[in-house]
Amino acid sequence: MAKQAEAERPMIKTRLSASSKVFYTVAYVITAVEAAICLIPFVILIASSFTGENYIRHHGYSILIHDFSLKAYELIFKTPITVLRAYGVSILITAVGTFCGTMIITLAAYVISRKDFKYRNQVSFFFYFTTLFNGGMVSTYIFYIQYLHLKDSLLALIFPGIFQVFYMLIMRSFVQEIPAALIESAKIDGAGEWCIFFRIILPLLKSGLATISLFLALGYWNDWYNAMLYINSEKKYPLQYMLYNMLQQTQALARIASQAGIKVMDMPSNSLKMAMAVVATGPILIVYPYVQKYFVSGITIGSVKG
Amino acid sequence: MMTAEVKRKEGFLYELKKNRALWVMLLPAFVIVILFQYFPMAGLVLAFKNYRFDQGVFGSAWNGLDNFRYLFQSGTGWLITKNTIVYNLVNLVTSQALAILIAIFISEINNRIFKKLTQSFIFLPYFISWVIVGTFVYAIFNYETGVLNNLISSSGGEAVNFYNMPWVWPIIICCFNSWKWCGYNSVIYIAAITGVDREIYEAAAVDGATIGQRIRHITLPTIRPTIITMLLLNVGRILRGDFEMFYQIVGNNGQLFNATDVIDTYVFRSLLQSSNLGMSAAASFYQSVLCFVIIMIVNAAVKHVEPDYALF
Amino acid sequence: MKKQLAAVMLAAATGVSVLAGCGSSGSGSGNAATQSAASASGTSAAAQSGGLDTSKEVNLVMYVISNRPAGQDAVDENLNKLLKEKLNCTLTINWIPWSDYANKYPLLFSSGEQFDMAYTSNWLNWTQLARKGAFMQLDDLWPTYAPDNWAATSEMAKAEATIDGHLYVVPTQKATYTAYGPIYRTKFDDGKEYTDEITDMTSMETYLDWIKANEPDLKPYQVYSAGSEMDDMWMYSQGFCASKGATNDFLFYNPEDENPKLFTYYEYDGVNDFLDMMEGWNGKGYYSKSALSDTDSTQVQNGLAAMQVHNIDTYSGLYILHPDWGFKYVNLRKHVAHLPYTQDSMAISTTSQNPERALALWNLLTTDQEVYDAFYYGILDTSYTLDDKGEFKITDPDTYATSAMWAVRTNELDRNGVGTPDDYVTQRNQWEEDIKSDDTAEKYAAFTIDTTNIETEYAACQSVQQQYWWPLELGFTDKESGLKEYQEKMEAAGIEKVRTEIQGQLDAYVATLK
Repeated sequence: MAKQAEAERPMIKTRLSASSKVFYTVAYVITAVEAAICLIPFVILIASSFTGENYIRHHGYSILIHDFSLKAYELIFKTPITVLRAYGVSILITAVGTFCGTMIITLAAYVISRKDFKYRNQVSFFFYFTTLFNGGMVSTYIFYIQYLHLKDSLLALIFPGIFQVFYMLIMRSFVQEIPAALIESAKIDGAGEWCIFFRIILPLLKSGLATISLFLALGYWNDWYNAMLYINSEKKYPLQYMLYNMLQQTQALARIASQAGIKVMDMPSNSLKMAMAVVATGPILIVYPYVQKYFVSGITIGSVKG
Repeated sequence: MMTAEVKRKEGFLYELKKNRALWVMLLPAFVIVILFQYFPMAGLVLAFKNYRFDQGVFGSAWNGLDNFRYLFQSGTGWLITKNTIVYNLVNLVTSQALAILIAIFISEINNRIFKKLTQSFIFLPYFISWVIVGTFVYAIFNYETGVLNNLISSSGGEAVNFYNMPWVWPIIICCFNSWKWCGYNSVIYIAAITGVDREIYEAAAVDGATIGQRIRHITLPTIRPTIITMLLLNVGRILRGDFEMFYQIVGNNGQLFNATDVIDTYVFRSLLQSSNLGMSAAASFYQSVLCFVIIMIVNAAVKHVEPDYALF
Repeated sequence: MKKQLAAVMLAAATGVSVLAGCGSSGSGSGNAATQSAASASGTSAAAQSGGLDTSKEVNLVMYVISNRPAGQDAVDENLNKLLKEKLNCTLTINWIPWSDYANKYPLLFSSGEQFDMAYTSNWLNWTQLARKGAFMQLDDLWPTYAPDNWAATSEMAKAEATIDGHLYVVPTQKATYTAYGPIYRTKFDDGKEYTDEITDMTSMETYLDWIKANEPDLKPYQVYSAGSEMDDMWMYSQGFCASKGATNDFLFYNPEDENPKLFTYYEYDGVNDFLDMMEGWNGKGYYSKSALSDTDSTQVQNGLAAMQVHNIDTYSGLYILHPDWGFKYVNLRKHVAHLPYTQDSMAISTTSQNPERALALWNLLTTDQEVYDAFYYGILDTSYTLDDKGEFKITDPDTYATSAMWAVRTNELDRNGVGTPDDYVTQRNQWEEDIKSDDTAEKYAAFTIDTTNIETEYAACQSVQQQYWWPLELGFTDKESGLKEYQEKMEAAGIEKVRTEIQGQLDAYVATLK
């Protein structure tokens, strides 16, 4: 696969004129600066997670590790079962959500890109409309809990994000690259619609599938919002929600600490927050470079109408 | 005979029967969207109700537009609506522009390792949650120990109190927003650029086109539909601010509210003070309606100028 | 295009009509729930003489707000063994983490979820929740099923828990006081020691000056994103009370007056003195110029700041944590009174299926030391230890914590932490005496405001308060123009309507005193 990707990459030989040299210099410098700006905070984050708490309190964050300490990680893994369970939940919802979501989105994208499907525009708009109008947090919450009974259910972490119109439009652009004649000739050969979809279309959509499943997976992995609203028991917390909890605690406490009555002394330390962030992001960072190579083919997402 | 057949083909039931398999393929998406998106919309009636917990959404009494009043009390509504729209527009333009620029650079650069590394690095901010960004922002900009002020004073300048200068915050927010989303958005553009037929580039090279010309005449036109669609799709969300971003960067600092308050942050603070769910629903309703109106106008305008690029 | 839209609208409309059907049946069942609850309370009245039937085992569900401690499973198990034996019930405690309470707490009552008990407080807007039907009315249930608790609750606490003539929450029995003042550190890492005492605002400034001069690494005064407490401190020290009884309020009255009138900052003569003082403090760098964006509320605790303004419980906590930092505390409030007991309360949800058992459990928790200890502190020698004075210590704060149901505390059952400063007890006793001899402020302790009619304006004023007063108070905005702008914004937000409404309530309250 890697080799194939290599072949598809446009290799253009240009004479390096003076203007080209300027262009390349600018391109390299700006890209490098942008990459550095993105990398440095992450390095600070990692360094801080290994830095002693007292150092951070008095000297702030630093790009280097000072006063090396593993205390933050010891705290996180003190009850390893909690973290491992959260990993499990995150992996489960990401895997199930991404697989089912990719399937549902691809099927819908395929249908609305079929020119012989008469109502494709209406159907597209029916989907698109949900990005403009929505019930808002309160009524969505009440509806999910009262009528769909999603309280404290992992389904509440999977379903709300499973169908994304934006990804459907991206997917459709991939499908549209496939010549319609392919479908026609398959039909003449007597292939059924399902057979055409699974045998002919799906294999041609590899990079499209890679793209939207990456987006879906990132979305599921990073989601804490649904967990915040619908999950009660700690056993079902996904990793990002654990992180979010820990990070937000300080702020929420700061907000109400001025009110009398509550005496809360223990705040999560800065290094602990950073360590938690590292733990929560780590897996994706390891996986990402492997997925990256699949983004080779083109996406030109078009309008809602077919 | 011809006309009869045509007529028959127009019927919805006929269509349903003819493309039975296709409709079945659509079914999962339909069910999901109806259950999880359309049904909750009925709860928007909450916006017009004096919500009582014991009477539920549909049992509570109507109260007209009372829930909307707090939004517009003392002119706040207009300010936060304006802020929300302006921020979204500016953020949209800058973040997309940066993503496009970086995407073009990355696809032009031939050094494979450099390409791979930078593409991975620019994705990193996507994983740093806003809470942590908020912590960093304070560490950078605060008056006494902030990194920036340390730099200024060590180079002989006078420390600047950024928290007393509301006008810099839109810029700061805009920069962080672009920074955070650059990697994510550029994936789409890189893919679109890589999709351009290689032969066109080669032909251009043979004709002696410079890189600038190539970008202007080949790359940009080919990714133009993508750009326009991305813009239009985001315009549809123009009234929904990225709550976390604003809340974590600005927090509770009243000094900056006039410059940074968006609908979602204002509603959040009101909810803290009153627990009134009707107010929250009213704000959602207001956002939805305005989004709908705006996208209708923008789409009509695009349709007028370039019918091909209209969303619908 | 039009056709497309019509098709979509039709689709949407069918969706909605299906939902409407769904909805009416849903709200129907909701009504049934309330009815069954109502009939339950009816039968409870009938069963009054017979007492509670505990033959059926039930599981009660309680919501509290805090992050769940890692070792809570063992604590729950231990408690449930006890409860099974004493009341044939078990208790499931659900913890709403700090990060989510703002959204999740009000939503909890809207979901129709069946649960029995919840912690509530003024910072959770309990009065509004009660008025909007989130809590079960307890007029009959409380005295019947929690008779000992009922008998031990003071009349004032009951009055505070009453809304529109009905009881809605069971307040704590542990007395807390409106006393407010500086908590300041007197011993420092370099061996220096501050030997004077703070006794008023002037000596407070002397202290802050001393810190600035002698301990340059410490911020003299801790201010963070929740705003400075100094405005409240100033008003309290002049003898004024806040209309809501809470900090960050904007309407004050003088309890010494026969017919107190509400006023706000810009109508108060002393405001310029106050703003002058704060402007000076800002200039001298007593606190960060970016204080309102600093979310660290533990600067004093972590040795980054020297003084904060708060209550005696915070003082005690700091003292226990750092016995060698020489923390001192002084109350600068002119008239001390009891804080509303309702600031820590327990409410029964409208959706509760077993309100009788829940109240019986509450009765047990608040009267039986063994159950209280198992509930509040956990397992003896595992999660907490006791010293010979009966003071407690959590063994491992990373694994265990005291319960977050703060409303359960009573003066008798609650234990002090190991290392509690001696003056914690003596001060509290002193205030109790003070209140007996000086009821100037105590008279008003049961006065609670009802914002139902002014909800919009009140929320808007609070918003203006945070946006304009907080920076002004800290000297971040220009005194004169800032005060003028604050006044304009307050007026635009509808402070006059708020004042008229609350003044009416205050007058009515004063009339009942006579």
